[in-house]
Amino acid sequence: MNHEETKLISRCQQGDQEALKEIYDKYHKKVYRIAYGVVRHREEALDIVQEVFIKLFRSIKNFKGRSHFFTYLYRMVMNTAIDHARKIGKHPLSSLDEEGGFQPSDEIEKGPERLFLHKELEERLNWAMNKLPAEQRAALVFREIEGLSYQEMAEAMGCSIGTVMSRLHYSRKRMQELLKDYVGILGQSRGLSDGSKGQSPPEL
Amino acid sequence: MKDSCSSVSKLIEKYFDQEITSKERFFVEGHLQNCPACREALSSMEELRTLIKVPVEEAVRNEDFPWLWQKIERKIRLQEKLTWWQFLRSWLDASPLFKRKVWIPAVVTIGVLLFITAQIFFKEFPSYPDSSVVEYVESETHHVMVYDLEKAKVTVIWLFEGLEEESSTS
Repeated sequence: MNHEETKLISRCQQGDQEALKEIYDKYHKKVYRIAYGVVRHREEALDIVQEVFIKLFRSIKNFKGRSHFFTYLYRMVMNTAIDHARKIGKHPLSSLDEEGGFQPSDEIEKGPERLFLHKELEERLNWAMNKLPAEQRAALVFREIEGLSYQEMAEAMGCSIGTVMSRLHYSRKRMQELLKDYVGILGQSRGLSDGSKGQSPPEL
Repeated sequence: MKDSCSSVSKLIEKYFDQEITSKERFFVEGHLQNCPACREALSSMEELRTLIKVPVEEAVRNEDFPWLWQKIERKIRLQEKLTWWQFLRSWLDASPLFKRKVWIPAVVTIGVLLFITAQIFFKEFPSYPDSSVVEYVESETHHVMVYDLEKAKVTVIWLFEGLEEESSTS
């Protein structure tokens, strides 16, 4: 944690709302990314972001600086998002027009078949994510969406690196089983004419 | 699956996550050049990552967080108002005289005493609330007062001799 961030956190711990605003400016997109990764719905993700920063202001006094601040924050986001998803009993989007649902990129031609494919994919993905236990879902979101290293994930999840790797392994395996019918659809939905699988393996 | 595949399969996720040592990387990359099955496994992981990540990146890119900070600020302010009330209560709770174990029995006792006292108070002063003096007559020998009790429908004629002696009759 750098010196500036330490000062910022110290001011926030003394109740300085301006300091909280600075923390918000720095982290709100990351928080939203994680929240959206879990609940996959815009309005609920925004609610989670609100809740997280309010909780942060109340509880930041408990942050002793033993870990990185962002892992402390990420753990709060993940716990809040998972609680939120549990309470609401999150289900996949039912309508493409439903506000807050996934909207396909402008890069992808929005023909009706492709829109349907996106909708179906997104629903299936949400369904599959909801099948995962909370800690496996957290591992997947932290790694695949936020790109945290194993060490950072271990700090954020409060476990060892071995446990992180195990959770990641089982979550990927489970997701691939649940989405096996959709392998290759990503390639189609991205407009590849030959219908081949999504992306080629990394260049060796 | 070749024997070497089982060795690589343990490393392939670390390779995919770039959490691998240079020695392990050399071993994995060497194997991948000759093993379509392991390349396929790697490709599936890549595809899964894209499937999970792309919609989220889209959502973040398209989001402008309208009034989000203002909402957070407002909720914090509302909570601070509550905390003032909580502070007052906590101050009341802190004073030993206002401990629940003291003031609740005290209030109950006072209430019971008031109730009993009120009954005694009313009983001590029985009166003829409905009496009214109809007539008062003074004479040399007697003073006469005539009371009319409306409720009992009784007329009381009170004769008394000056201020020292009194006698009554009805």
